Amino acid sequence: MLAFYRALLRLYPAAYRCEYGDEMMDVLMEVKTENRKKGALALLFSGAHETGGLLFGAAREHFYTITGSHGSRMSSLRGRFAMKSEFRFPKATVGLMMVILAAVMLTIEKARAISASIPHANPAVGPIHPTQSMIVQALLATLIWAIGAGAIGWGILYVLRRTGVQQLSEMNPSAGQRANK
Amino acid sequence: MEVSEPVLLILLSLAEQPRHGYAILQDTEQMSEGRVRLSTGTLYGALARLLDERWIERIKENDSSRGRQAYRLTAAGRRNLQMEIARMKHLTRLAALRVARKET
Repeated sequence: MLAFYRALLRLYPAAYRCEYGDEMMDVLMEVKTENRKKGALALLFSGAHETGGLLFGAAREHFYTITGSHGSRMSSLRGRFAMKSEFRFPKATVGLMMVILAAVMLTIEKARAISASIPHANPAVGPIHPTQSMIVQALLATLIWAIGAGAIGWGILYVLRRTGVQQLSEMNPSAGQRANK
Repeated sequence: MEVSEPVLLILLSLAEQPRHGYAILQDTEQMSEGRVRLSTGTLYGALARLLDERWIERIKENDSSRGRQAYRLTAAGRRNLQMEIARMKHLTRLAALRVARKET
């Protein structure tokens, strides 16, 4: 069972595991010893409870690592310019994307208005020639191939734990930061 | 930081004395009369958040040959805990008043 718990702990982010992994294993060992005295049923229930806790905990820690947020009120009180070593999804990106989307929609509407005001300026477009269609298909295929190759490459790096974020977290685990606090 | 019931129990456990992980689990279960049983994953998630917010700190356990880490409430943590207790007192007083008013 302890080997199973150890395997579940591997689901946690590396920095978190470095900081709390051994301690958590100690606690899991003590919980197991205590429940073994109470009987097989208690051991079974405890095992299921701990497994659920570890799975949920791993998912939560990955979420916090990605978003850089603990969903807490205190985080917002610590100042807007607080720096963290973890990767954070830049919140400004969402705002920027919305502005770009609004600009694109505005441009389309403006183009429609211009087109409606001068109906004979743009002749009707004829059917697409087969050669043009093949070029579009080739471009699409190249794009899909590039995205696929990129995803596979990133997947390999992720499995080998060689992404920039993972290397940074290994070089500078928050263990050092917390120890200094 | 949101003070949920498990977090409140952890803080109350550490308010009395520094404790290591397993002792916190036992104490929270005892305080809640078996109602709240924290898993190790949940406990360490909460401890990590509390450490980040500097409500608690890690210390080496004195009487342990294994060099285990214990956790202790910081001054800021104690202050926040007192504020939380005051908030709860206010809420229970208000609840009692409103329930009494409804009954009369």
